[in-house]
Amino acid sequence: MNPWGPLLLSVRVALIATAISFVLGLLFARLLTRKTVRLSFLWEGLILLPMVFPPTITGYLLLLLLGKRGPVGSLLDQIGIHIVFTWPAAVIASATVSLPLMYQNCKAALLGVNRRYIDAARTLGLSEGRIFRQVIFPLALPGILGGVALAFARALGEFGTTLMIAGNIPGRTQTMPLALYSAVEGGRSAEANMYLLITVVISFALIAVVSVCQKRAAK
Amino acid sequence: MMWARFQKQFSLFLLKVDFKSENGTTILWAESGAGKTSILDCIAGLRRPDSGEIRLDETLLFSAEKGIDLAPQDRHIGYVFQDYALFPHLSAEGNVAIVLPAKEKHEARQYLERFGLARLKNRHPGELSGGERQRLALARALATKPRLLLLDEPFSALDLRTREQTYREFAAMRDELDICTLLVTHSKTEADRLGQQVIEIREAIGPQGEYEHLAGQFPGGGSYES
Repeated sequence: MNPWGPLLLSVRVALIATAISFVLGLLFARLLTRKTVRLSFLWEGLILLPMVFPPTITGYLLLLLLGKRGPVGSLLDQIGIHIVFTWPAAVIASATVSLPLMYQNCKAALLGVNRRYIDAARTLGLSEGRIFRQVIFPLALPGILGGVALAFARALGEFGTTLMIAGNIPGRTQTMPLALYSAVEGGRSAEANMYLLITVVISFALIAVVSVCQKRAAK
Repeated sequence: MMWARFQKQFSLFLLKVDFKSENGTTILWAESGAGKTSILDCIAGLRRPDSGEIRLDETLLFSAEKGIDLAPQDRHIGYVFQDYALFPHLSAEGNVAIVLPAKEKHEARQYLERFGLARLKNRHPGELSGGERQRLALARALATKPRLLLLDEPFSALDLRTREQTYREFAAMRDELDICTLLVTHSKTEADRLGQQVIEIREAIGPQGEYEHLAGQFPGGGSYES
């Protein structure tokens, strides 16, 4: 069994999932850190649920939602799109479980920007949109990047939710964590050790990214 | 001319403000903790008074009665904070350029030159001295071509020797610009040297025994003697 197939699939899935949760996480953090949103605790709760849910429960919920008879799945079925048990389903699973991490890091980073810089920008005539793009975002960037690294790690390691909604189909939806499980189950220890080694290398690289980001954020 | 007459309740005291600021430099003088920064914040639109009116020339900036409360962006007031709040991720030039419209970005260099910062244009605020930071904050505020300039203890972060020189520079700049300026200070020396009109904040006890801080011009001096 070639270990690079599951690794490449995992990286592809995790990169796309991280991109999605970056956009959504930053957007939600921006919207919910401004006071004007009603029932913000409810929205925030919805975003954070996958963090406390058992991953298989999150997967089951997604299955109910995206399955052929689910509210979203039936609509997609009509235009000939089947998501369940395809690799895009793995992307959805990874994005869902990494979104809470991304959201929380983005929120902390945005709230951590000194209020006085925003006040100064307002008296200097900058529009709220420009203040976000040119003042808040660059100042919050180290914290946001820390969130990106954590979300990527979470997406890369996704197991339970992915198994429920994307399955464990070798060559199609078998990501690295699932391949590791199959390798151990099938007694293929050389392959399993290979996955272990790859995971250790990637994890150390991500920890390094996070700690550099935190150091820069602390400045 | 700027005219402020408003009240705002704080946890420890009620702030009552009533003064006019003519062209030239008006000093807002008080010991620290009297709500000086809050007064500037209200005028700049960063805080909202509970009642009253704030007027700049013919423009009503705030009126509780008429429900007017212009956004800080629409007040055209330059505000130099006590800690300057220079954008730490931008160079000196970037700090000035960010406030200029796209077509006028090149003018940032001229503002830096005028404040003797041209050769430091690529430095970030963290790499500038206290005096340089202060001049950069002033250059940035003036680049917006404000109708009123608010200065919150602009000299307090400077050491004594720099301060002397900065007083002279400030007086020269003020005469050249002819801009209406409201300067907050707790230093009497500064009030005496720079002020053409002095507004004082006094503590008082209100009718129900509550603490009040009154900002206004008090005939016959009092605790402030010019």
